[in-house]
Amino acid sequence: MAEEAKFKCLRCGHGFTAPYTPKVAEERACPKCDSNSVRRLKEKKDS
Amino acid sequence: MADAGRHPNIELLTLSEVQRVDGYVGNFKVTVLKKARYVDEKECTACADCLEVCPVVKPDEFNLGLSTRKAIYQEFPQAVPAAFVLNMEDCLGNEPIACGKCLEACEKRCIDYDDQDKEIELEVGTIIVATGMEVYDPTELDEFGYTQYENVITSLEFERLINSGGPTEGHLIRLTDRKQPKTVAFIQCVGSRCEKRGNPYCSNICCMNTIKDTLLIKDHWPEVQCKVFYMDIRAFGKGFEDLYKRSMAAGVQYIRGIPGDIYEDPKTKNLILTAEDTTTSELKKHEVDMVILSIGVVPPGDMDNTQQQLTLQRSADGFFLEAHPKLKPVDAATQGIFFAGCAEGPKDIKDSVTQAGAAAARANRLMRSGEVTVEAITSMVDPELCTSCGICARVCPYNAIYVDTKKKTPAVVVEAACAGCGTCSAECPFGAITMRHFTDEQIMAQIEAILAENAQDKIVAFACNWCSYPGADLAGTSRLQYPPNARLIRTMCSGRVDERFILKAFKLGAPIVLVSGCHFTDCHYINAVTWTQKRIEKLWDKLESLGIRPERLQLDWVSAAEGQKWARVMREVEQLREAVTAKEIEHTKRVITEDMLKKRTKKVKAKAEAVA
Amino acid sequence: MANKSSPEEIRIGVFVCQCGLNIAGTVECEDVAKFAEELPNVVYSDFQKYTCSEPGQQTIKDAIAEHNLNRVVVASCTPKMHEPTFRAAVQEAGLNPYLMEMANLREHCSWVHINEPKKATQKAMDLVAMAAARAKLLEPQMETKVPVIQKTMVIGGGVAGIQAALDLADAGYHIYLVEKQPSIGGIMAQIDKTYPTMDCSI
Repeated sequence: MAEEAKFKCLRCGHGFTAPYTPKVAEERACPKCDSNSVRRLKEKKDS
Repeated sequence: MADAGRHPNIELLTLSEVQRVDGYVGNFKVTVLKKARYVDEKECTACADCLEVCPVVKPDEFNLGLSTRKAIYQEFPQAVPAAFVLNMEDCLGNEPIACGKCLEACEKRCIDYDDQDKEIELEVGTIIVATGMEVYDPTELDEFGYTQYENVITSLEFERLINSGGPTEGHLIRLTDRKQPKTVAFIQCVGSRCEKRGNPYCSNICCMNTIKDTLLIKDHWPEVQCKVFYMDIRAFGKGFEDLYKRSMAAGVQYIRGIPGDIYEDPKTKNLILTAEDTTTSELKKHEVDMVILSIGVVPPGDMDNTQQQLTLQRSADGFFLEAHPKLKPVDAATQGIFFAGCAEGPKDIKDSVTQAGAAAARANRLMRSGEVTVEAITSMVDPELCTSCGICARVCPYNAIYVDTKKKTPAVVVEAACAGCGTCSAECPFGAITMRHFTDEQIMAQIEAILAENAQDKIVAFACNWCSYPGADLAGTSRLQYPPNARLIRTMCSGRVDERFILKAFKLGAPIVLVSGCHFTDCHYINAVTWTQKRIEKLWDKLESLGIRPERLQLDWVSAAEGQKWARVMREVEQLREAVTAKEIEHTKRVITEDMLKKRTKKVKAKAEAVA
Repeated sequence: MANKSSPEEIRIGVFVCQCGLNIAGTVECEDVAKFAEELPNVVYSDFQKYTCSEPGQQTIKDAIAEHNLNRVVVASCTPKMHEPTFRAAVQEAGLNPYLMEMANLREHCSWVHINEPKKATQKAMDLVAMAAARAKLLEPQMETKVPVIQKTMVIGGGVAGIQAALDLADAGYHIYLVEKQPSIGGIMAQIDKTYPTMDCSI
């Protein structure tokens, strides 16, 4: 199931939310600078 | 066409689609799905008895809906194979009160309602991708009124209209009153050469196609006036300029300017175009009977499937990317696969035939000797170090590694199936897997060489052989300028980039490490690139826990066509590098050294315990 | 590690290509070649106008013989361009082709740092040092030959697919021509007359 997750761009620092499916590898790009250095923030880790 | 149908060496698989491609150059295994035709291809004589009795009437796709067909039909009279086809979705035969009329009418009994889709396995040495193109759908460019006015048609619809085998048997009529138009307007570059809507590239064929159409009109119906609205006329090929001149001499009016909008006179159904002639800066209204939109060429809708099955790459325009624009213009980056025709980019018939000949020659060259040399870059397992944990087998995109995790037998690499991405070697926690020609020692030596002096000024960058490295090459051939601080290490796949390489670089004082590879859809090794991403994500966490800014490890997917992106990434990571302080670097060196020591002591302890 | 080579002395030769002015216009190739002389295990280093040319390749072959080289670094353009050329050259001189390493001084250096010749030269030296460090550890590799199935699959039965299929079929290969529609012909079959000769499409 797709859920929302918070991401941070490690290039420009832009923070954003995007759909996220655990265990599915998806290519990500920062909506602001288009870099692929996009890190999922795991502050609310479930389970 | 007919030659291909009767050639003893050509096996036609129509209504067929490729499902799966495995293997490698010289030895591809292909699964093709051949859909049911419901008509025996060999027995059917195309006598059309079935057609007469079929009660179903549907729009004819071949004529773009300008005429109708039955549920059982032939695409066009010269179809190869000449057999009819039954569209089961349209057919009434499966209804409770079955129709079955065609079945009765067919004397040769070649219709079979129970025909099934079949999976066919093929083994081939080479593959030629000739998946062609589709035409641009002008619906989104609503100012041209394609969806609103019946007398606005596309250039492909026009082809069917004036074709003697087409819906009007070749009579030039307009659709509202079925009368011959007095004035016809062509609008060029519909869906082409526009950054905002449609496509930014030139579709190559539309100028000449329009010139040809005007000549056909003038040859048959000299009284019909033709006006062509254009941006530029590109008549660059052999004999093309002559045709353009002939068209002008025949009285075709060429107006440089694309109409801003089109509206219909509700009474006459004529169309009124407002356009500026940019040679005279005059804004003028033109009333015409019929408008033909000269639509561009786009990649086919199912291109994604072909791309994934064959692990091909695409250029920015969406068409397939050749291995080299000048030296290998019909080769794919994957050995043994070649391009012919519009699959690689919009082209006309002459160019398609030329390229097809080139692709055939390249395939012949490869197959002629009966054997092919495969690269020696594969992985090998050291059984002494292997603990049979099974990670390598799990990450291998080719299922080329076998491990029995229960019996604890060491991993075995099936060399013929190994494609050499190196993901297993990077993921092995015990350093038990060596990648031939890209060993840990060789890559570590490169890292050491980069950082031997003035490490603080340098960016350690990894680039994969198939996308990012040639992407950086393209930045070079395009003379895109960027800061000279990065030092590139080539690996076959970004999946080869071991976390130990990255930590080593940081330990030796690298301010920034960049890992670059193929976009997920382009990955030359099926899905190895997804392991790269997972590894980098884990490393970001690790760096953070060590008190190192994760920003210092950068990740980018750069395709072979993205020279611009490469140059941009280089500028951006250089900015990041400038922000890394000497103090930070010293801290990083210290914590990583400590962490490595801790790990080593842990390992030694564990070993000692195991022995005890 | 398996197959560790016998402890022969590693003797590296470095060949810096000027590529006319393509590299030499930005990078001081002579300085790069001099720098390389000081690198570990490098016993020969020089620069050429065009290393890929016949005389350039001959220089490599002669140097291998004369200086008893067992590793070669060619610092020129992208390996995508001339890796096969130089692999063949060292092979002709009796070396395993995998003992040749390239440094990309053109696409990745001189062409992208045109306005910073000093830094570009510095980078070129690093690239050569990296290549030499790697070359030192290169091992011979055996390329295996595999049989080729003498059949071709052509995906798409439009004008290009038909032409490619016919050419290869005439050459004697078995062709599978895969077309998703009920008939071959593609878009070409929908077109009336075709330019530039204005004849029929089918």
